[in-house]
Amino acid sequence: MVLTVALIIGTILFGIGLYGALSQTNLVMIMMGVELMLGASMLNLVAFWRYLHPEVYSIQMFVLVVMTVMALEAAVGFAIGTQRFRSKGSVESEEAADLKG
Amino acid sequence: MMELRIILLIVIGLIAIWFGWRVFRTDSMVRSAFSLLASMVAVGAMFLVMEAEFLGVLQIMMMGTEMSIMAIFMMMYMMDPGGLGEMDMTHQEKPSIIVAVIFGGISLAVILLTKWGDIIAEAPTPAQQNHDLGIEVMKRSMMIFESAGFSILTAMVAALATALIIHNNQIEKN
Amino acid sequence: MSTILTWIAIGLLFAAGVYFVALLEQWSLQGYFDWAAPFNAFLRSFGQEEIRTRRYDTVFYEATPVIFIAVVLLAVAILPFARETVILDLGTAALFINAALVYIMVSLIMAGWSANGVYGMIGGWRAMAQLIAYSMAVVMAITAAVMRAESMAMTPIIQSQASLWNIFYQPVGFLLFYGAVMAIAFLPPFDLPTAEGELAGGAWAEFTGARKTLFRLGRLLLILTLSLAVTIFFLGGWLGPWLPGFVWTFIKTTLVAASFFWVGRYFPRIRHDHLLEWGWKYAVPAALFNILQVGIVLLL
Repeated sequence: MVLTVALIIGTILFGIGLYGALSQTNLVMIMMGVELMLGASMLNLVAFWRYLHPEVYSIQMFVLVVMTVMALEAAVGFAIGTQRFRSKGSVESEEAADLKG
Repeated sequence: MMELRIILLIVIGLIAIWFGWRVFRTDSMVRSAFSLLASMVAVGAMFLVMEAEFLGVLQIMMMGTEMSIMAIFMMMYMMDPGGLGEMDMTHQEKPSIIVAVIFGGISLAVILLTKWGDIIAEAPTPAQQNHDLGIEVMKRSMMIFESAGFSILTAMVAALATALIIHNNQIEKN
Repeated sequence: MSTILTWIAIGLLFAAGVYFVALLEQWSLQGYFDWAAPFNAFLRSFGQEEIRTRRYDTVFYEATPVIFIAVVLLAVAILPFARETVILDLGTAALFINAALVYIMVSLIMAGWSANGVYGMIGGWRAMAQLIAYSMAVVMAITAAVMRAESMAMTPIIQSQASLWNIFYQPVGFLLFYGAVMAIAFLPPFDLPTAEGELAGGAWAEFTGARKTLFRLGRLLLILTLSLAVTIFFLGGWLGPWLPGFVWTFIKTTLVAASFFWVGRYFPRIRHDHLLEWGWKYAVPAALFNILQVGIVLLL
C-alpha cells in the first residue's frame, strides 16, 4: 500500500516532467522538465530501497549517481544555452532548426 | 505508524505534484524556477518520511543552489522583470499531453498489477545507514563513485569550453 | 524536573544572547553601547508606515520573511546546548545545517526579486554568487570535523574534541569556517547582499514595518546560531570544567558573536569580485589541504 502510493506519486511527477520536456520551447524550461523526471525516478528508487530491500545500499548509491547526473545536465545545458544565446540571441528550440545536420 | 507515513506521503506528494504542475503554468521564469525548487524540496521531504535521511537532506541542500542558478539563467535568457506576459511558450502541446497520459497509464497499470512482495517495516537507523552507505561507496561501488567524480570533472571542463568565447572559432553572424 | 529548568534557563540565555547581539550590532555601527536601542527599534517598527512597491510579487513578498526565520529556527533545532539537551537529534546533523543555510540565500533572492526594485534584485543575485563561492569552504571544513568524529551527528563531533579542540587540531579549517560563516550571515566585512552604502539596503531595501522586523530578528537569531555552530564544530561545545554544560556553550557562543562584530568593525569591506576570487581560488584549495592534513593526522 505505502509502496504503491509512493510509486503513483512518482509516476505523476514523471508524467508532468515528460509533458514539460516535450511541450516547452525554451531550453531552460525543457531542462526543468528533465529535472522533474529525474526527481521522480529518484523518488521511485528510494521507495524501492525502503520498502523492498533496506539492506541493499547499491540503491542509495544509484540515487547519488542520479543526483550527479542532474547537476551535470544543468551545467552542460547552461553552457550550450549561453553559447547559443551569445551567437543567436535566443534559446528557443523552435529557432534552432539550423542545428540540424 | 505506517498509516501516519502513508498520510504524510500523500500530503507531501500532492504538494510536490501541485508545484511541479505550477512550473509549466506561470508567466514568470523566476516563479517557475522556485516552483520547481518547492517541488524538489517536497520530494526531499518524502525521502525523509521514507527514512532515507542522508539522501533527503542532500537532495534539499543540492536543489537549493541548483534551482537558484536555474532562476538566474532563466532571467539572463528571458529578461524576466519585463516578463513574457501572456506569450505562449509551448509547442506540440496536444501530442505531449497524449504521450504523458499514455505513459502514465502504462506505468500505473504496471504499478497496480505487479505483485511487489512483502513490505519490510523496519529500516536501519540513520547513523547505521550513513555508515553502511560509506562502506558501500568505498568498497563495492568504488569504481562507480570514481567514475561519477570523473564525469563531474569532464562536465566542468566541457561546460567551460563550450561557454567561453574562443575567438578563432566564432560562428559567423549572418 | 531538572530538564525543564535547564530548558527554561537555555531559553532565557538565548533571549539574552539575541539582545546582546543586537547591542553589538548597534555598537559596530556607532561605536558606543546604547542599552535601550534594540527595544526602541523594535517598538518603532510597529509605528512605521508600510510601503510597498508597485506590482510586487505577492506570494514571494509575504513568504520571504517567514522562510528566513523558519530556516534559522530549523538550524537552531539540531544544535545541542549540552549533553542530551537538543531539540532534534538527527543522525545527519552536520549536513542538515548546510542544507538549512542554503535556504537563507534562497530567501534573500526571493526578497530581492519579489519587491520589483533594481537594488533589491542586485542584492539577491549577489547573495547567490557569494554563497556558491564560499559554500565549498563551509562544507569542506565541516567534512574535516566529521572525519575526526567519524559521525555526522552532533554529539560525537563534540565528544571527539574532548582531548583537543578542533580549533587547534585543524586551524586552517577554523579560519575558513569562521570567515565563511560571517559571509553567510552577511556581517560587515562581507555585507554585500544588504550593503547599506552602495545598494541602499540591498535585498531588504523595499521591506518596511513588520516584515523588516522579522528579517532583522531572523538575522540576530542567525548570527547567534552561527556562533553556536562555530562553538560546536571547533570550540568543543559544552566541554569545560566546573560550570554546567549549557553555561559553557553560551559563554563560548557570546564570545564568538562578539568577535564577529569586532572583526566587522575594524576590517574594511571586501569588494564583491575579490570575495568571489578568494572564495574560489584560495579557500577551496585551502579547504582541500585541511582535509588532507586531518586525514594524515588521523591515519598516523
